[in-house]
Amino acid sequence: METVIKQSGKTQVFKDKANKIMGISLEDAKLTKSYLSVAFLAILLGGILGLLQGLNRAGMLELPAWLNYYQVLTAHGLLLVVVLSAFFTIGYFYAGLSHTLGGLLPKVRKMAWVGFWMKIFGFVLAVIPILMNEASVMYTFYPPMAASPIFYIGLVFIVLGVWMCAFGAFINVASWRKRNPGQHIPILSFFATGVFVLLFFGSIPVAIEVFTIIPWAFGWVETINVMVARTLFWAFGHTLVNIWYLTAVSAWYVIVPKVIGGRRWNDLLTRIVVIALVIMNITGGFHHQIIDPGISEPVKYMHVFMSLAIGFPSLMTAYAMFAVFERTARRKGGKGIVGWYKKLPWGDVRFLAPFIAMAAFIPAGAGGIAQTTNQLNQVVHNTMWVVGHFHLTLGMSVVMTFFGLSYWLIPYVSKRVLTPQINKLGVIQTIIWTLGMIIMSGAMHWVGLLGSPRRTSYSTYFDNATALSWDPYLFFLAIGGTLLMIGVLMQVYAVFYLMFFAPKGNTEFPIAEVEEDEAPTPRWTERWGLWVVCMIVLVGMAYVIPLVDFIVNAPPGSPPFKTW
Amino acid sequence: MKSPVYGLLLLLALMLPPISNLLESIMITHMHMQMPLLVVSGLFMAKFFQNRFPEFFSKWNENGVPGLLLFSIIMMYWSLPRTMDEALTLTSVEVFKFISLPFLAGVPLRDSWPKLNSFWKHALIIFFTILFLALGWLYIWSPVQLCNNYLVIEQITLGWGFISTAFAMVVYLIYSYFMDFSKYE
Repeated sequence: METVIKQSGKTQVFKDKANKIMGISLEDAKLTKSYLSVAFLAILLGGILGLLQGLNRAGMLELPAWLNYYQVLTAHGLLLVVVLSAFFTIGYFYAGLSHTLGGLLPKVRKMAWVGFWMKIFGFVLAVIPILMNEASVMYTFYPPMAASPIFYIGLVFIVLGVWMCAFGAFINVASWRKRNPGQHIPILSFFATGVFVLLFFGSIPVAIEVFTIIPWAFGWVETINVMVARTLFWAFGHTLVNIWYLTAVSAWYVIVPKVIGGRRWNDLLTRIVVIALVIMNITGGFHHQIIDPGISEPVKYMHVFMSLAIGFPSLMTAYAMFAVFERTARRKGGKGIVGWYKKLPWGDVRFLAPFIAMAAFIPAGAGGIAQTTNQLNQVVHNTMWVVGHFHLTLGMSVVMTFFGLSYWLIPYVSKRVLTPQINKLGVIQTIIWTLGMIIMSGAMHWVGLLGSPRRTSYSTYFDNATALSWDPYLFFLAIGGTLLMIGVLMQVYAVFYLMFFAPKGNTEFPIAEVEEDEAPTPRWTERWGLWVVCMIVLVGMAYVIPLVDFIVNAPPGSPPFKTW
Repeated sequence: MKSPVYGLLLLLALMLPPISNLLESIMITHMHMQMPLLVVSGLFMAKFFQNRFPEFFSKWNENGVPGLLLFSIIMMYWSLPRTMDEALTLTSVEVFKFISLPFLAGVPLRDSWPKLNSFWKHALIIFFTILFLALGWLYIWSPVQLCNNYLVIEQITLGWGFISTAFAMVVYLIYSYFMDFSKYE
């Protein structure tokens, strides 16, 4: 086992050795393989829908009468934002828990399977009304637009499935801690704990929202408080975004340094980044509502501050990553102020993809900070800029990290090896994806600044000159989207080749070790209960003022609307 | 030994008219942000006084309980609606707020906390949980406006602020009751 802290106890040592020599147990491997298969099938389907949507949005493709733009938009969002991300995150972290904690407990494995089928069931329930054009409410499914109640019931099952997996992870971590007193949770499991804490607490608001929407969608109650529902949605929506980001960050801190043959960043600082992101995340949801009515200026100001605070651990990460790269490259003989970059393994997709992902987070994070600022947000809020922003953060920073992980994680769980051909395919895929995303997301950002609206199908607004001036940018959007579709096909091919056809062999689970002379990490980093309490206090600080205002001074409420 | 300097800077920053006016303009930020931050500034500055007057602290706060008592009295005083009102209308009370919370609540708390055993620590948290629940109840369901300077809606908001803080403390108490840290160490 390649974690910082040595294990103790004979059984544990045996299990760890078995894990190291024989790799992941077949049962744990099957679980992760199932989760990853669903994730990559979701990216295939979601990618196809994305292409249709991109071509349609550019005015280059007419959708058939039985399929409208908003239907495609909803399915694309749900597949990629909910299914791909949740299934990849859970599959990856469960493999990590299995590897670093000496295998999953049988009870936990069962919980993860129950969670798996609950999510699949929920997803099928949600998709049926989308296909019937009864739920074209987009990923941001808050009122006053109302979908068929079945859609929301499906979402309830997805949330319950996620909770199942979160509690499974907590049980496994707690049991490991009892068996290994006095030791720190291995770093990857520490990240997993943070992610599952966020998944659980972040989905509580959306669960409350959905439970208030269901009676409204059925018509049992006539109206709903739109502002409360939006606020609850974004408390979840933003957290979800940051959960994938934290998943990607775990790979940057733990996996990538090993792939490049180095050691990882300071253990204490890494854990502080995780704790800070867990405590501060949920309150960030408010910056999605920065131009919403009914929230006073001082409250918005406070939220800008709270959102920008999340940027701090990200800046720590940016520093840490480049420090690790430089240190590793110099040890390998790299010279010069920036000349050391030549020593990094650029031809290895397991490094290249996450590296570009990280680099993309520089403009993506800066764009995010711009959007968090009240006045700048007013310029871009309902424009394509925002769509460009989340394609840069999720489509590049997160998804490219997931891609990079898949080139060793899938061989690891399938007991196969990454071949040089697939590595080469991966490098080409990474380049195509990068180009596609830069072109598409760049075009979206720019056309957004020129005023092209988001969440709106193609229209020339009666050949209005301004609207017509957007067309060239929209062509770029379509070109980028087409490149991305090629990237999706290559990636899905690589994934299933590595899962079922690559040569058999043992692949290592790459976990970097800390520097030898590092001071021991203090015990307080393990006080998860305390971090959760801090998080609750912060959530209280953020949400008590606006929610009391929305509820006590509530307007009459809105009936359900079907705008499509 | 930079922390007393940071504490002093925090106190000075909180005293700046634009900042104090902003924080005092909303009831909940007055009580749940400005006042705790004043206590925090005292926590930071405590080291200075401990080093300067070690005998005073060892003589008057030997087992930490007197400091705890002083902290609790000051905090209770400042959770009354009337004291908040007076702080806004009478300059002398406002001055007292900026002196009492850092120096009579923050400093003694910092000095007492390490000296207290877990019984007293938990007793303090339980006491404040009950106090916060009671104050939450008072502020939310009071049939009348409690402060001349703040609207009823702000009062209700503050009440929910108390309830949510009490909830967090309850979670902490449950956590420390059920968690046996010795099993993990």
